[in-house]
Amino acid sequence: MSKPYTLQELLVIAVAKEIHDHENVILGVGLPTTAGALAKALYAPHATLMMESGIIDFEPLLPLNHIADAHSCRGFSYATDLFSAFTMTYRGFVDVCFLGVGQVDQYGNLNTTCIGDYYKPTMRLPGSGGACDFLSYAKRTVLTMLGGEFVEKLDYFTSPGYLDGGNRREESGLFPQGTGPTMLLSTKGIFRFDPVTKEMYLAQIHPRVKVEDVKKDVPWDLKIAPDLSETPHPTDEEIDFIRHFAPAMSAGRELAMELTIANLMKQVKG
Amino acid sequence: MAAEMSKVMNVRDAIAKFVHDGDELVIGNYTVGSCAELVYEVVRQGRKGLTLYSQSGIFDVEVLIGAGCADKLVSTYVLRAGGKKGGSAVERAMNAGTIQVEDYTNFQYNARMVAGMHGFSYIQVLEGAIATDIFRKRSFMGENKFRIIKCPYTGKENLTVPAANPDVCIVHVQRADKFGNAQYWGALGSVAAAALASKRIVVSCEEIVEHDVIQSSPHLTIIPAYRVDAVCEVPWGANPTEVLGYYNIDQFMYGLFMMMDGTADGLKAWMDEWVFGCENRAAYIDHYVQKFGSKTLDGIRCKPYYSAPANYGSAFTSRWDKDGRERAIGMTLAEFEKTLKERGKLYE
Repeated sequence: MSKPYTLQELLVIAVAKEIHDHENVILGVGLPTTAGALAKALYAPHATLMMESGIIDFEPLLPLNHIADAHSCRGFSYATDLFSAFTMTYRGFVDVCFLGVGQVDQYGNLNTTCIGDYYKPTMRLPGSGGACDFLSYAKRTVLTMLGGEFVEKLDYFTSPGYLDGGNRREESGLFPQGTGPTMLLSTKGIFRFDPVTKEMYLAQIHPRVKVEDVKKDVPWDLKIAPDLSETPHPTDEEIDFIRHFAPAMSAGRELAMELTIANLMKQVKG
Repeated sequence: MAAEMSKVMNVRDAIAKFVHDGDELVIGNYTVGSCAELVYEVVRQGRKGLTLYSQSGIFDVEVLIGAGCADKLVSTYVLRAGGKKGGSAVERAMNAGTIQVEDYTNFQYNARMVAGMHGFSYIQVLEGAIATDIFRKRSFMGENKFRIIKCPYTGKENLTVPAANPDVCIVHVQRADKFGNAQYWGALGSVAAAALASKRIVVSCEEIVEHDVIQSSPHLTIIPAYRVDAVCEVPWGANPTEVLGYYNIDQFMYGLFMMMDGTADGLKAWMDEWVFGCENRAAYIDHYVQKFGSKTLDGIRCKPYYSAPANYGSAFTSRWDKDGRERAIGMTLAEFEKTLKERGKLYE
């Protein structure tokens, strides 16, 4: 039996496995950058890691603070600009990208802009950033949902998944064939999209989670894969990599924040 | 270039001269190395009625909006302090009705600057956004946020955005010469386009260097001197954000800001101390060190990892070789002039 792991470590590993060797990968900040580093170290050594700020082909030495963090890698192979990072995505050179989720509906459409009314928001979220254009044109998109929610209807439609489901994305003429979200990772399981209806279903469940626990977060009648599998126990090698590379990721956002603030207050008091 | 061509100014004079009430102001930096000191000086001078452009709003946008300098914001991304329970100056201003926000994607926003930089009136962007509320929901730009046109070559529908040409860009870079040639490296983002699209450009830099440094590394120059209005030497000018090769992000100061930004009172108290309470960047750093010691700042100074030099050298720098003969014609200057005379090419 391998050593004990944290939930966040399990999540990072699940995401890292979506990166295949030799792929071009756009990484978002947070969990995906740690996943990218893990993939590059253990599963996909020839992957080209990229960020929309124009940092292309980098080897992260530290968890990135944001998507323009050149301090966390020792140089990189290609310095281009944001404009070109998106036009290369538009032209089909990006195999997989990773996006965070505020709200998601059953067809993988995303809201990262606001909760409540757009003009007078209950909660103003960050906005699109690169999300809308990446979800439109990357060949595959992996959605990571740590604090977000499943909803029947988005409060604001920021980024296009499969629109109203079925063939609607392809019929719209706005997107290359075969693109769209391929997987959603939550703290409870892994969801994929039915090839015909494009409806999100539960494909894999994390250890100690029951199907009912997953269903209670989802406002539609969630379908469960007949061959539902359990997310495998991480290996020692995987755990050691993450804990060494990004200890705050192992701890999870809340605990890491609590420990950081405690340390900050200690410094303020001198 | 003559000494009188120097554009070196202090921050106070540069902002007073080039940033006016009611301007369209763009923060040139994107996520990293923000022009913090230039932003703080805009706030100190109490500019009003700005239309603020920011590719990615971080503490800089929060401060400008928290201080009431802008009534319109064009952006793709805004900061939120303290997660779900927290808040932001942008959110508070939206709910108070004191700011109108126009949301774009990263590419669309940048494309508006690229169009402006090149003198075009509009530019094609990626059509997938037509399916979203980014296209459908409009604020102060109304019909002119996006237009769909038919491509005259393919007949396909193209989504377009209008060019942006802000009145003034404020931007921080690693180094510049006194003429204004501004060098920046690292995450290129959209920095050059934001600056070059603008009518006036105020540059702050970590250090002013000799012109020869610039001349031997022109691939690092993102804004040429002839476009720049003012150059301000401001060490630590981007703190709490980072400048590649100079210092890392200051998690301590950023943390202090984030703990205060969640409420209007908190942000005001933070600005009273760190923006209004410090008349310039030197005073800010003095206050910082006096209050918390120099350990944090010392700990984030970058260690060197120099770019391999690119050889801009050439085989020779004169048409005349070491023997005084022209390299193609093979004559000395005297022989050459003699020939010109013999061939009737010279006039008295």
